[in-house]
Amino acid sequence: MNDERDENKSTSDLGSWLISMGAPLSITELMPSEITGLDVAPIVSMLGGVGIRSGLRQADTAQTAVDEIRWLHIID
Amino acid sequence: MLRGVYSLLSDSEHFEFESAHHLAQALSDLDSITIALLHMDSEEFAIWCGLGKSDARIHLLKLIKEMQQARIRVQGAQLQLDFAKNQPSPKALFRSLTQLALVGVACDLRQVQRAWLASTRMPLSKKWISQCESIRVFTGRGDLVELGASAFAFHVKWKGVRKSDPAIGIARNHLVMDVGGVRRFVELPAACSRMEAGSVRLSKNKFEVDFSVKESEWPRL
Repeated sequence: MNDERDENKSTSDLGSWLISMGAPLSITELMPSEITGLDVAPIVSMLGGVGIRSGLRQADTAQTAVDEIRWLHIID
Repeated sequence: MLRGVYSLLSDSEHFEFESAHHLAQALSDLDSITIALLHMDSEEFAIWCGLGKSDARIHLLKLIKEMQQARIRVQGAQLQLDFAKNQPSPKALFRSLTQLALVGVACDLRQVQRAWLASTRMPLSKKWISQCESIRVFTGRGDLVELGASAFAFHVKWKGVRKSDPAIGIARNHLVMDVGGVRRFVELPAACSRMEAGSVRLSKNKFEVDFSVKESEWPRL
């Protein structure tokens, strides 16, 4: 549980999330500190309609990948 | 080894991804985030940032610009595949190159053939060379065509689209094409926001999404 909490905490700001996704440490120098220190949770809800697969998760559960695309029926 | 969407934002001139699929996925996610940011107005962004509105606007625009520039850099970059560590099947190679083409990245097939030969000591078979040669970079555009008084179709051309077995959906004002988790977004004409999307007709080199007018949104005089 502690590990899970630590993981959630470590990816709660944009800069940490970028690094946890494999970005180099220098990534935080590329953007203003106001940006890199942001809480990622609100943007996760903004991303609801487009669906991110490379790591972002619902802020409330930290488990379910966001995906709200309405898929259409395909006729071959 | 670098991976993930934000590797693309780095100002490095050389990136290494685990596979062609990982690069395609990173570009797909970069586009997803860019679209999300484009939908966020500066007031929302200001609340998110805890900054003043004008500062937030500047940062939001800067972030979007960085993402758009990253995409341009990657599309213009020279792509080199190396199969020394990760040897896909020819079918998986075809799939990965299709995913790259979907997100707008072209691959030099001669370089791929040389890398394949260097790694496997066997040339890529003529069948798979031909398959890979048939891949075309997706341009990301479509046309809305009127079929009747309240029926329209959005036509999207992409050579070989049926073979790529896409899932097709709608998110906000974008059409989403998904090939194995790699997504490309095509902006729909504004008129589509007042229409209901129906089925998708998929053919060899194009697909058509049916749209019907929501009568309630278009009151007739």
